[in-house]
Formats: sequence, C-alpha cells, structure tokens
Amino acid sequence: MNAFRWYPIFLREMLLFRRRLLRLGYLFSAMAVPIIYLIAFGLGLGRNVQIHNKDYLTFLIPGLVAMSSMNNSYTWIATAFNLNRLYYKTFQVFVQAPISPSAIMIGEVLAGMVKGLFASVLIIMVGFLLPSGFSITPLFVLVLLLNCFLFANLGVITGMLAKSHEDTATYSNFFIMPMAFFSGTFFPVDKIPRFIKPIIYLMPLTHTNIVIRKTALDTEGLVSFTVLVICSIAFFVYGSRLIKNYSE
Amino acid sequence: MIEINGLTKHYGEIKAIDSLSLSIACGEVFGLLGPNGAGKTTTIKILTTLSRPDAGTCVIDGFDVVENPREIKKRIGVVPQENNLDRELTAYENLLIYGMLYGVKDIKGKIENALRAVGLWERRDSVVSGFSGGMQRRLLISRALLTEPLVLFLDEPSIGLDPQIRRQMWDVIRRTRIDGRTVVITTHYIEEAESLCDRVGILSKGKLIALDSPHNLMATVGKYAVEFINNDGRLIQHICRSREEALEIARGRINGVTIRRSNLEDVFIKLTGERIE
Repeated sequence: MNAFRWYPIFLREMLLFRRRLLRLGYLFSAMAVPIIYLIAFGLGLGRNVQIHNKDYLTFLIPGLVAMSSMNNSYTWIATAFNLNRLYYKTFQVFVQAPISPSAIMIGEVLAGMVKGLFASVLIIMVGFLLPSGFSITPLFVLVLLLNCFLFANLGVITGMLAKSHEDTATYSNFFIMPMAFFSGTFFPVDKIPRFIKPIIYLMPLTHTNIVIRKTALDTEGLVSFTVLVICSIAFFVYGSRLIKNYSE
Repeated sequence: MIEINGLTKHYGEIKAIDSLSLSIACGEVFGLLGPNGAGKTTTIKILTTLSRPDAGTCVIDGFDVVENPREIKKRIGVVPQENNLDRELTAYENLLIYGMLYGVKDIKGKIENALRAVGLWERRDSVVSGFSGGMQRRLLISRALLTEPLVLFLDEPSIGLDPQIRRQMWDVIRRTRIDGRTVVITTHYIEEAESLCDRVGILSKGKLIALDSPHNLMATVGKYAVEFINNDGRLIQHICRSREEALEIARGRINGVTIRRSNLEDVFIKLTGERIE
C-alpha cells in the first residue's frame, strides 16, 4: 500500500483535469500553439522545403509533438504547483500529510505526464490527417513518455522555486521558450552555428528531438537517450529534495 | 501530550517566537491568544511540521516534530487560518483525497459521518467554490477530524465569520472534546478563548506573557472593570479586585461609566498596555 501513497495526489489532479477538460478553452489552449505552428511552418513556409530528403511535415510533426508534450507537462504543473503553494495553500495539505516527498513528486509528475500526453495525442491525430510520412515507432512512444516525465519534474521544480506567479512566466521565457525554437523542433540542430551548439546540446528538448525522429537507437540516439534519462533522474531527485526541505 | 521547550523562530531580523516553553495535557483545550503578529500561527506551523524552528524542541505524543515529522503527521489534524480546500472539487472529493493521503480505512463510511457531523452531507456533491465562508470552515473541520487525530490544531477557526456562524463553529469545536481529543486553538477573539479553552497562553511579540485558565488569569488582574470617558474624551479603564472598589471609582462620574466583569483582553492590556487587535 505504501508504494501507492502518490495515488491521492494523482487522483486529485485528474479530478481537476476532468473538470477543466469540459471547458472548451482548455482544449484550445493545449492545441492552439502547435496547430498554429503546423499551419504556418508546415503547410505555409515548409511547403517547398525538404530536410534529410524528406518532406518538411514529416520532419516537423515529431518536433511539434515533443514541443507540445514539453509545454503541457511543464506549464500546467509549474503554474498549478506554484499557485497551490503560494495562493491556494493546497500544497501545504500534502506536506502535512504522512507521505514521503517522493510520493508527492510521483503523483504530481504522473499527472503532468497525462496532461503532456493528452496534448501530444491531439497533435499526433492531426499529424496523421495531414499528407506526410509521419509514423509512430516504439522508440517514439518511449521517448515521448520520457520527455513528459522530464518536463513534469522540471515543472515541479519551477513551482517550488518561483517566488510568485509572475516568476513562473519568467522561468518559462528564459528556459522553455528558447528550447521550443532552438532545440530542433523546426530545423535540424546541425544547421545551427557552431558557437551556439554547446548551449543547444545542454537543452533536454534537443535530445528528445534527436531520438524521437529515429526508428532505432544508433550511437547518437543512445547518447541523447542517456542524457534524457540522467536529466530525468536528477530533476526528480532535486524536486523531491525541494519538497523535503520545504519550510515556511 | 505536547511539550514545547525554548522554541525560537526568526523571519529575517524579526523574532517571531522567542524562547517559548509550555506543556499541554492530553484532552485539554488550549488557547494561544494574542494580537496579529504575536507568533500564534508560527507556533502552529512548527507544531504541524510546516515550518522548522531555529532553536528549541516540540514533542507531541513522544515524537519530536523535527526528528519524526511523519509520526507527528499521523497524529494531528489541522484547520489552517487560510482556507486550503480544493475549491474546484466537491465536498466529498475533498474529504476523499484527504482521507486517502492519511490511509483512512472504511473511508466512505467515515466521510459520511464527518460530513453529517457538520451538516454538509446533503451538499456532498456540490463544488466547494459555491459554499459560504461558514460552510467552508465547517468542511475544513470535518476534513481535519476525518483521520481521528489525537491532537486537533485550529488556527483562528472563526476568523471572518459573522457572530451567529461563529457560535455554530464553537459548538462544532466543543463536540470534538467528546472523544478526549487534545485541541489547540489560536485566536485573537477574547470571547472565543474564554468560551472554549481550559487554559490560555497569552502571546505578545513572540513571548509567552501569561499562562493559566481564563478564570484564574482574570482573577489575577481583578474581577471587575470600570470604563469611563474622561474630560479629554479618552476612554479610561480601571481593573478592580472588588465590586465596592469598582463602585468607588465610578462614583461621581457621569460620562458613560460602565462596570463589567473583567475579561482576557483586560489581562492583556494590564500585561502589555496594548489592546488585542
């Protein structure tokens, strides 16, 4: 039973998620940005572009899925966690309950993953409707799950560190926004000037974008996959530590 | 049940609690009384593991709050000053999540009992954001009691409630005594402390300045209070040991003289020269 002490946290998030899903605005906000990019870059700008001898849509859709899973896993958790801690004080209920910090972390991260996967599935469905060579492999699914896990962990960390609701937007502008544009979502990172590359390869989404487009793990894919696993574990441990050391 | 020794907590340069020491017996209803900023909420936050002390120890039922927070959490229920219910969930869902966090057995039956005890069973499927302030407070209390805690902490339980709802709240709190539960209340309402508490600790600027039953505390300063407006238009107050003394002071004064029983605010004024606000 102790292994499932995270379940009430997860259940709470899912009950709230179900209510919010019934509001149309939630669905639109999850889909709006990637659909706009898909139309603007994929069907507009990218109509005459080929990357690695494939049409641009085949390149773009996995990147948009990765970006969307990042945004939704991260943003909803970071925002909700921060609001729950600073304004609604519902986070304090978890901290005062006889459960471990890692149980709080697991419950929140799994909920973040569901939100990230939900948005990703919407993009995947749109992707299949468009004329492209987009397909899903087991590696694609595995990396998608890992990406959601990683960014949900980062969402908890931001939610814990941000000193105000405005702060979460600042974190987003500095870390999430650049990642969305420079991590290989819209163009391959090998086209980026050499001097920026070290920064690009520090961004986890770059590694997601590298692996998610592969059909099988080669050396480059294995390195990126390992980076994603290490980042995920490090973020999980750090987030749990922040919750453990929480004191008002 | 609760032993506090030399408890100290700073927020930057401000000393929120200054070497607080006191004991609370099993089954006692204990009140921490004082104005805003006296250190009441900080004390509760430390006792309920939400905040770490800078110095001193707090032991509840034999467990130290810093060394064994998990054991403390199993034994306490908390009604915080700020409403921390999930406003988008129903009353039932709020209690369900809370009960699951504490591993409550026979959870459905206990939720029903808890909601019935505060008169909210009929509203169990209503979303909490539609509840009045009084209903939300009652739900907070029923949530805290769901886990059958040994110690119930109530931080300003009736703050912001109108007098009628406040009295209903007191009835709910009084009923929690039936199981012999220890109750710790912080309040700045004099009447609340006098009405509910077996003993009261008066806090001022983080220090414990008095500790006894309301009756004894009032007896130490005098049983009667005489209030009148002086020639400058200021309210003057005298605390008297006997009715005769009070009548003597009141004699000859015609401007709004009041003789009344002393209360805990008189004790506070006598000790600090300030009012509880």
